[in-house]
Amino acid sequence: MKLKRPTIWIILLSLLASILLLSGNGPAAAQENTSDVYLYGKVEDGQFQPVRDVEVTLVDPSSQEILSSSLTLSDGRYALALPNSFPRQLKIDFTRPHFANQVLTISPEIVGSLQSGSSITLPKILLEREITAAFWIAGFVFIAVLILIATGFLHNTLAAFSGASAILLVSYLGTPFSPNLHIFTFPQATAYIDWNVVFLIMGMMMVIAVVENTGIFHWLSYHAYRISGGRMWVLLPVLMLITGVSSAFLDNVTTMLLMTPITVQIALTLNISPLILLIPEVFASNVIGVSTLIGTPTNILIGSYGNITFNDFLTNLTPGILAAFLALIAYSWFTYRGELEGEKTGSPTLLKKLEERGKITNPVNLRKAGWIGAGMLLMFIFGEKIHLLPAVTALIGASALLLWIRPDVEEMIGAVDWTTLVFFMSLFIVVGAIQEVGLISMIASLIGRLIGDNLILAMIVVTWFSAFLSMIVANIPFTAAMLPVIGYLTIIVPGADSKVLYYCLSIGAALGGNGSLIGASANMITAGIADRAGYKITYKYFLKKGVPALIITVTISLIWLFIRF
Amino acid sequence: MSGILCAIRGGPASQPTILKSIQLAQHTNKTIYFLYVVNLDFLAHTSSSKTEHISKEIEEMGEFILLSAQDQAQKEGVQAEGITRDGKVVDEVVAFCEENQPDYVILGRPQEDRENNLLTLERLQSFADRIREVCSAEVLFTPEGSPEED
Repeated sequence: MKLKRPTIWIILLSLLASILLLSGNGPAAAQENTSDVYLYGKVEDGQFQPVRDVEVTLVDPSSQEILSSSLTLSDGRYALALPNSFPRQLKIDFTRPHFANQVLTISPEIVGSLQSGSSITLPKILLEREITAAFWIAGFVFIAVLILIATGFLHNTLAAFSGASAILLVSYLGTPFSPNLHIFTFPQATAYIDWNVVFLIMGMMMVIAVVENTGIFHWLSYHAYRISGGRMWVLLPVLMLITGVSSAFLDNVTTMLLMTPITVQIALTLNISPLILLIPEVFASNVIGVSTLIGTPTNILIGSYGNITFNDFLTNLTPGILAAFLALIAYSWFTYRGELEGEKTGSPTLLKKLEERGKITNPVNLRKAGWIGAGMLLMFIFGEKIHLLPAVTALIGASALLLWIRPDVEEMIGAVDWTTLVFFMSLFIVVGAIQEVGLISMIASLIGRLIGDNLILAMIVVTWFSAFLSMIVANIPFTAAMLPVIGYLTIIVPGADSKVLYYCLSIGAALGGNGSLIGASANMITAGIADRAGYKITYKYFLKKGVPALIITVTISLIWLFIRF
Repeated sequence: MSGILCAIRGGPASQPTILKSIQLAQHTNKTIYFLYVVNLDFLAHTSSSKTEHISKEIEEMGEFILLSAQDQAQKEGVQAEGITRDGKVVDEVVAFCEENQPDYVILGRPQEDRENNLLTLERLQSFADRIREVCSAEVLFTPEGSPEED
């Protein structure tokens, strides 16, 4: 029996979830013979980030007897319950893989206070990173995943999934031989998965699956053609606007999967090269997609990590992106001015066919999707007042739509791109590994030292570094890896607590995709479909058109951020 | 089926093949069957759940490409039909030949400088041999046009 691809991914996903549920770390056993006296404290790393899962042990230095022990929580805090009787000399050991052990000797004054029944909060402990073999292995796996994705040698999901497996394999098989090979445990690995991101993407996929089958894109594109009356100076910006607005609410790949074949049909009708329309469209998709929280996976990642809401993106990023879009229209017009001049008259046969197809095929579903979509938009905007996470809004919207439409459940399950969800989960584990071993901290420290306390310099460096790196590296893993770095810079750079650097990362990672054909999945999809129509978009061609578009749109967006912050 | 099979991809590179088939149709007074094959291999590295939907969209795009070629042929006074099939181009052309036994098959000759050309010169010859194995059609080659460059 041959399993279909979605079925395989569902099985893998279920397996992952089952292992996660079965392998949960229970709370430490309650300690017996303890008093009501506690030693409190907090553990941080060199970037002043809380360190969780540090083993904190209270020891009698003379006998080496363990008197109490605890693990730090996700906020780095710990609480050690003292026994009913304890000696006058005490020390605390702090141990955690990938950090140098640290010992804190408790002063006699503090011990005296404890013996008199007072709980004490100790000063913060800073743990120093320790580079072990695990550091190099995790770093190597991460780079290997990036290379495998960039070269297309493996499917994105398979590359990330294999990377996650390799890390866990090394961790579990290597640790018995050498503790230096320990990266993290399975529960620690899965703790890095951002479920808000996974469920938000899943919910939006279900909504998109309904919308894409209504014929709305055909209808919009045909009417764009009709309104333009063959005047290219009208048709081009209208098609760019349709693509851009769609990308702000749907993912860019879906938008271009739907828009490219229709655009080719319009171009053939007008007897022009489809590339004149397709290249500006894909640029528009990459640019306007960044204007909302749900427009790109990178924004979903950034929003979830940086706790940036839908409204934050609308107020802090959208105006700059709209300005960049206007400049992009002007650039596209200038680039293709020779081909765009004059009025194009279409072939009557093809025009008739275009008209036949430019109809809404499922008006009932479109109306329902419209109502639900409007409701979701309101929930995204006003939901933050009741701390409603975007993932919850997406799931409620998707469920409401499915209950209202009552589609075939199997069909809807098939419409969810499980490969993408597994990709995200696996990627979180791979990025979690380099975070765990301290590679991200090292990069963050290095960038922090380069930038110093200059916010303007930080904004420029983060934006352009992200933009140029996104030209060659898949922007989703890049963004996932950069988030802790931005988190650190947000703490140490004066003025960055406005979260402006997250917006810089958003702009750089998404708009950088316009710089090269491999910079964004939407570019590759567009090129693939255009090639099927006999119009090849070469790497050189895309680079020539894309780099100026990147420079223009990133510059304008960055200027907006300077003004705004 | 009596006629000329002309497999096209669309774009400027297909023009010499289309023109050759039109000339041949004018000369032989036979119908041209333009064939467009929907191939979704390029989706292998991205999304998989969209395959069914995108296949329909690309098939519609293929119909447009075929309609455009048919329009061109009809303007030259030649009768032409369009056919779309799903699968790998070479396999589908061979299958079509086996099922329909055309008189002529016109194939585009690749240009050496074109990246990822489907048919290298060596493959083209073995492709022609495969066609001859399944039908008695005369296989003709025509130079492809230049790929689009700005």
